[in-house]
Amino acid sequence: MIAVAARAEEAGRREAQLDRAVHEVFSAMMAVDCLPVDDSVVPERETISAVIGLAGALSGSMVLHGGICAAISMTERLTGMAPDGLNAMVCDAVGEVCNMIAGAWKGVDPLLASGCLLSTPTVVAGSSYELFSQRAPLRMERSYRFADCLFGITLFCESCA
Amino acid sequence: MPELTVLIVDDSSVMRKIVERALRQAGLDLTRVIEAGSGREALTILARERVQLIVSDINMPVMDGLEFLRQAQSQSLAQGAPVVMITTESGEEHVREALKAGAQGYIRKPFTPDQVRDHVLPLLSPA
Repeated sequence: MIAVAARAEEAGRREAQLDRAVHEVFSAMMAVDCLPVDDSVVPERETISAVIGLAGALSGSMVLHGGICAAISMTERLTGMAPDGLNAMVCDAVGEVCNMIAGAWKGVDPLLASGCLLSTPTVVAGSSYELFSQRAPLRMERSYRFADCLFGITLFCESCA
Repeated sequence: MPELTVLIVDDSSVMRKIVERALRQAGLDLTRVIEAGSGREALTILARERVQLIVSDINMPVMDGLEFLRQAQSQSLAQGAPVVMITTESGEEHVREALKAGAQGYIRKPFTPDQVRDHVLPLLSPA
């Protein structure tokens, strides 16, 4: 019972850290509030996912997943340029947003800040795909809203410090 | 503020645009912006171009920002231009490594234009 409570407390702490990281990235880089919501990310015909690998003190991955509208909005807010659709710049932007969220999230914990390394982003876009993570006993999913856009963050942890 | 040529090194073209935008919003009069997608490309550029400011990411494929900085310093390619690292890595160890490699500034992503201004402008002020 104590172990279960400790795990729940740990999960809550990680979620709060993630919420702060997301808010920090969006407010600093895009000058917009981004807050957690209970809504699930509505599946759109075309979606985009950015994956950042985590290694070292913590093994796993962080995935940012959303529809094309959210991705285009992030791109426009980051760069000041309006893409006319899903293109390399949008994929790059979403990858960078995921990268910064992962960095801000791990940066809160001194052990992870120095001991957990991030991979370069991998971005997948399309209308029919699923991401699987092997050996991920811990999984944390959160949904967020900025302006009128929704996206999700999933954290797969093989082991968490 | 003096006009200046800046070299921005990052494997993400979006991040290079973001950094340029932040530098301009910070009040820098950028005469010329040169972009490099890797440390190796940046070394090639520095061998033929004179710049007044270098802004570099750390985590990049081919050659990371720290190795780029070490080689730029050992080959005297930076020619006195201040180097600022802009990166997601925030651990003290990373900061120490960057400063040891020759960086004069270190900005963690995410960043605001004000943070860029506060870190970069003092490096460009005349002594």
